[in-house]
Amino acid sequence: MDPVSRPATEPAADYAVELLGITKRFGAFTANEGVDLRVRRAGIHAIIGENGAGKTTLMNVLFGLLQPDEGEIRVDGKPVVVTDPSVAIRAGLGMVHQHFKLVPSLTVAENVFLGMEIRRNGLIDHRAQEEKTRELSERFGLAVDPTERVGLLSVGIEQRIEILKVLVRGARTVILDEPTAVLTPQESRELFSTLRGFTQDGMTVIFISHHLEEVMEVSDTVTVLRRGKAVATRPTSELTKAEMVRLMVDRDVSFERPARAATAGQNILSVRGLWARDDRRHPALRDVSFDVRAGEIVGIAGVAGNGQTELAEVLSGLRPASHGSASLNGQDIVTLSPAGVRAAGLAHVPGDRMVRGVDGNASISANLIMGRQNRAPWKKGPRLDWKAAANEAAKMIQRFDIRARGPGDTVRRLSGGNIQKVVLAREFTNEAPFLLIDQPTRGVDIGAQEAIHDEIMRQRAKGVAILVISVQLDELMKLADRILVMFNGRIMGSVDGDTADEDQIGLMMAGIPQGSVEAAA
Amino acid sequence: MSLRLRAILGQVIAVAFALALGSIVILLIDESPIRVFTTLLRGAFGDPGKVAGTLLQSTPILISGVAACIALRGGMFNVGVEGQLFLGGFAAAVVGFGLDLPTGLHMLVGLAAAILAGAVWVAIPAYFRVRFNTNEVVSTILSNYVAILLTSYFTIFLFKRPGGWSETPPILTSAHLPELFDFSRLNWGLVIGLVLALLTAWYFRNTPGGYSVSMTGSAPRFAEYGGVDIKKRGFWVLIASGAVGGLAGGVETLGVHHRFMEGFAPGFGFDGLIAALLANGSPIGTILTALFFGALRSGSLLLETDTAASREIITVIQALIILSVSAQVLLRRRGDAQGGERRWKF
Repeated sequence: MDPVSRPATEPAADYAVELLGITKRFGAFTANEGVDLRVRRAGIHAIIGENGAGKTTLMNVLFGLLQPDEGEIRVDGKPVVVTDPSVAIRAGLGMVHQHFKLVPSLTVAENVFLGMEIRRNGLIDHRAQEEKTRELSERFGLAVDPTERVGLLSVGIEQRIEILKVLVRGARTVILDEPTAVLTPQESRELFSTLRGFTQDGMTVIFISHHLEEVMEVSDTVTVLRRGKAVATRPTSELTKAEMVRLMVDRDVSFERPARAATAGQNILSVRGLWARDDRRHPALRDVSFDVRAGEIVGIAGVAGNGQTELAEVLSGLRPASHGSASLNGQDIVTLSPAGVRAAGLAHVPGDRMVRGVDGNASISANLIMGRQNRAPWKKGPRLDWKAAANEAAKMIQRFDIRARGPGDTVRRLSGGNIQKVVLAREFTNEAPFLLIDQPTRGVDIGAQEAIHDEIMRQRAKGVAILVISVQLDELMKLADRILVMFNGRIMGSVDGDTADEDQIGLMMAGIPQGSVEAAA
Repeated sequence: MSLRLRAILGQVIAVAFALALGSIVILLIDESPIRVFTTLLRGAFGDPGKVAGTLLQSTPILISGVAACIALRGGMFNVGVEGQLFLGGFAAAVVGFGLDLPTGLHMLVGLAAAILAGAVWVAIPAYFRVRFNTNEVVSTILSNYVAILLTSYFTIFLFKRPGGWSETPPILTSAHLPELFDFSRLNWGLVIGLVLALLTAWYFRNTPGGYSVSMTGSAPRFAEYGGVDIKKRGFWVLIASGAVGGLAGGVETLGVHHRFMEGFAPGFGFDGLIAALLANGSPIGTILTALFFGALRSGSLLLETDTAASREIITVIQALIILSVSAQVLLRRRGDAQGGERRWKF
């Protein structure tokens, strides 16, 4: 049954895996809509798209972790109903997840053979397992020591073990979900050469990523997903990075740019030469400098994961900066605690609202107190005035049109858009001179999006300095007076909101600096 | 509100389940569960003296329980209440027999020493938690052994009263906690416990500080974003919890034993932690659960004379309660997909 030796006359034998018309819904949300994906044998097929475009869902459907609502899966040309991962494994598929599932106290070989141990006389044959692991690791350049304990190894080596696990289980098609997200550049290069080795062996690789350079470097074919749909499948050599960005980022401008008066006043926020590291201690911000003036909306555009999150965290005191300065109202905020930055004049709508933005199990009232529990009218004498808090909450529910039963309603019960409005209601009523909004409308329906945008424009008219970070370019093109584009932790350039051109921004999002735009376009 | 009712109902069912399992154990030793439970009730509430005895047993459990509640509300487990109680009791005793102060003031100084001892003792795990992010569950459990053995050492080698007993000299009467009735050793400690429970409940419900602590416990990343210094809060919450744990010991020595004895208060600290867990971290609820555990303890005295059951059956029932309450909590948490990050839920 070696698939490579299959006669070429058989139809569709050219494809290792075919997904035909896959639709997957979660409630009202459609994660994949009629997606067709044909993966050529012995090739490296990249799937790219922004966060939430449906890449991981599609792969989970293929691997049997999710059941599609519609559509068909074929492996080696034959229809397969993948009811669970064991079916997928038997069909010759293997998946390396973003988060590894290894037992730290066991050795490399024990992990590789976990659940399918080689036995001799009823006991585990450690020597045979180690031998087999060594053989595979040498054959595919996945250097590991089979006898070492996994708990002592680096993430890069852990990933090799995950790949070995997949190979030992007989996979001919290997799916990797964002494999380079946890790797250093050197480790990534080694991974790529391993993947090329696979294809020379007749195996097929499916590779999920949103790092375009890697996709350009390693893949043969690219499929772009956007909002759950496959919008293009092309040979990689026929695409440029800028074209990929254009395909990934939604071009449907669904918003009209509101009329605005030139209200920009003096500098409220000044960032100079800011550097910071991400959780893996790699540089996430590199020499970032910009200003935000009173009555001005500055937008930060970029493919997710290019330093935007870290920028928001540094500016709100949640992450230390490694160099550089940021001053708010003339006060240096880089060394301040979150409370200190708030006192200096920050209001902050966080990007991850369920973790940072609210306590889902608490009431709307209790959520609207956060950050001002030590101020009137919430504090009266030494105590919290819950009655005043409920009154304030009722006013905000009205003003921000939060659909809830009342101030005592539990936040978790509300829809995403209404939870976002709870966060906005709290932060927009702090009378802060600087407003940092990370993903203003993520996961929010169109109606609520309009309401949130109107509210942001009202804050601008009041003279608040506003920094909006969004992965939705159309949103920035509607709201921002100036758009800064981030790529790989740097600001690639700045464009005026009135004359912004999507193609121009798209090039910068792909890492092509502003100066060379004309030449490249 | 319905959420809270559901939580209370869950705990009641868990206790009922444990009592049912306990009944099976009682049947296994050829005794009637009904007789055992009625004897327990009679032993706990049969006459005013027995009621007073129950309240006397409940007092250290209640104060330890409040100590545990404080930590739970901040999202932490103070499993070291037992050790804090021992050190607090010892410190109060040393002040009680070592200093000569006017009546009243002497008692207050003794209680202050107990509070200080508990706070200083918990400061070690609290510091390690803030500084090195160590797990306070492990470090507070371990601190118990050190505390208990340390007080034994001091008692035997430094302050041993002449004679056979491993105990300190008696505390001067000027440091005694006044008794409430003449027929029982029940004393002002109970009042201290009740007032403390009410004050703690009020603090969490009605003050900005209490709000910040509760949010640190239930949604730490949200609290951090909102400007709460969660590390510092966590440190001071553990200190407060340890201080109250020390107070529990001080009340016990100044109110009941009037001396410090080696192993003087077995398990009160742990019972307090269980009472707090059973009450879902509510100080008011802990008044009820502490009373329940106190009744089990004092009722068990009658068990051995009146039934074939040993008083150890109480320990079995308590253990079953712990099991079924933890199972209940785990079951509830499994249904709460977003709750993965939190450690305890209120």
